[in-house]
Amino acid sequence: MLKLHNLKMRYPNGDGLDGVNLEVRNGEFVYLVGPTGAGKTSVLKLIYMEEFPDEGYVLVDEYSSQDIRDKEIPYLRRKLGIIFQDFKLLEDRDVFENVAFVLRVTGARSRDIKKKTLRALGEVGLSHKSRKMPEELSGGEQQRVAIARAIVNEPFILLADEPTGNLDPKTAVEILSLLDKLNARGTAVLMATHNYELVNNTSKRIVSIKNGRTLN
Amino acid sequence: MSLFFVLREGFGGLRHSRFSGFVATATVAISLILIGIFLIITVNLGKFVQFLRSRVELEVFLDDSFDEIKIQDLTDEIKRMEGVANLTFISKEMAIREFQNLFKDKQEDYFETLGYNPLPASFRVKLQDNYRTASGAEVVFKSLSSLEDIREEDIVYTREYLVILEKYIKFAIAIDFIVGIIVCLSALLLVSNNIRLIILSKNKIIETMKLVGATNFFIRTPLFIQGIVQGFLGGIISALFLYTLLKLAAIEIPGFISVDWRIYLLLANLGILLGFAGSFAAVRRYL
Repeated sequence: MLKLHNLKMRYPNGDGLDGVNLEVRNGEFVYLVGPTGAGKTSVLKLIYMEEFPDEGYVLVDEYSSQDIRDKEIPYLRRKLGIIFQDFKLLEDRDVFENVAFVLRVTGARSRDIKKKTLRALGEVGLSHKSRKMPEELSGGEQQRVAIARAIVNEPFILLADEPTGNLDPKTAVEILSLLDKLNARGTAVLMATHNYELVNNTSKRIVSIKNGRTLN
Repeated sequence: MSLFFVLREGFGGLRHSRFSGFVATATVAISLILIGIFLIITVNLGKFVQFLRSRVELEVFLDDSFDEIKIQDLTDEIKRMEGVANLTFISKEMAIREFQNLFKDKQEDYFETLGYNPLPASFRVKLQDNYRTASGAEVVFKSLSSLEDIREEDIVYTREYLVILEKYIKFAIAIDFIVGIIVCLSALLLVSNNIRLIILSKNKIIETMKLVGATNFFIRTPLFIQGIVQGFLGGIISALFLYTLLKLAAIEIPGFISVDWRIYLLLANLGILLGFAGSFAAVRRYL
C-alpha cells in the first residue's frame, strides 16, 4: 500500500509541493499527470525517499517518511521497482548483470539470481540480448532492461517517471503495453507523465498535479 | 550480500577503470619509492650516528709514579662508575708502539733521540650506549676528575666533536621527520584524490546502485578493495624498484648502504594502508 498525505515541500528556488494527496492500492494502475515542473518527479522522489517532505507523510508498506532511518532506505527501495526516463542503467556491466544487480544486493543465492533474472528478461523479451552492453541497445531496449530490473525483485509497485519520454511513439506504446501486462499480473503501477495524449482514452485512474498540488 | 560478489565488484572495478587504476597504482608506487628512499636514508643515518657515537671515549692519562696496585684500584673504581661500559689500560710501552705505528713512515726515531719514553700510561674509557652524548660524557668526566690523584687536565675527550655531532644529529632528525611527514601526507592526498576521481567518474553508477536498493556498505566495500589492491600493487612495485635500484648501486659501490629486508615488507604493508586510508577518506567525504 502506498499513501501520500498532505505533502508540502519547499525548494530553494521558492517553488515546491503544496498539498499532495494520493493513495495507490495494491494492483492498481494510476497515472500522475501534469505539466513539466508541476512536481511529478518530486512526488516520486518522496516515495522512494530520496527527499523528505516539510509537512505531511509518505507511507510505503511498513515504512513511514516520519520515522524511517537512513539505513532502512535501501530496504524500502527493494520493495519498489523504479523506472526512469533516462533508464539509469549501469554502464559498466551487461544486460544480465544490470538486472541481476538488484538481486545481488539482497544477498540472493546465485542459482535464484540466474533463474529470476532470465525470467525477468524473458518478460520484457530480451533474453537473447542478456550479454549485450547497454550502449549496444536501442532506447526502447534499454527501457525494457530497466523494466526487467524493476520487476526482478517482485515489487508490490512500479514507479515510472516519464518512462516513454525518450522514446519514439511506437516504442512508447510497446512500453505502455508492457506496463499494462505487468499490472494485469498484480503489480501496482504509478506512472508520472506530462503526455496527456497518452492517457486520453485510458480507463485507468488519473491523478492530476498542477503547481505542486494534486487535483481530484 | 555475498562476499564473493563484493570481491568480484572490487576486482571488476579495477578492470573497468584500468587507466585510473594504473594512475592510482603508479601514484602509490612513486609515493612509496619516496618513502622507501627516505626510510633507507633514515636507517642508514641512524647507523652512521651510532657508529660515530661508538667511537666516543675518554682517555685518562696516568702519572708515571702510579704502581700496579694503584692502577688496579683505579681500574676497579672506574669500572664501577655510572655510564662506563668498559676500559682498556694502555701501558707506556703500548703507547710507544701505537705512536710508532702511527708515524711509521717517518725515518726519525724520536724516542732513541730523547733517550727515554715520555708517553704516559692511560685508561681508555668506553661509555655505555645512553652515555655517548655530550651530557653523558660530561657525567663520566666529572666522576673521573673527582678521583683522587686524577686531575681534570689528565682527562681528554672530544667534547667539541660531541657537541657538534649532537647539533647536526638533531638537525638531521628534524629534517628527516619533516620530510617523512610531507612525503606520507602527499602520498595519502594523492591516493585519496585518485579514489575521489574514481568515485566522481562512477557518480552516476553509484547513484543508480543506491536507487535500486544497494546499501552504503555494498557500494563502499568494492571501493575499499580497489584502494587496497591498488595500494598493495603500488607497494610491491616500489619494493621491487628499490630492490633493483639498490642492487645496481651495490654493484657500482660495494658496501654502499645496507638495507633491512623488512623495509620491503613494510613498503608493501604501507601500500595497503595508504590504499585503504586514501579510499576511506575519499569514500567518507564523497559518498
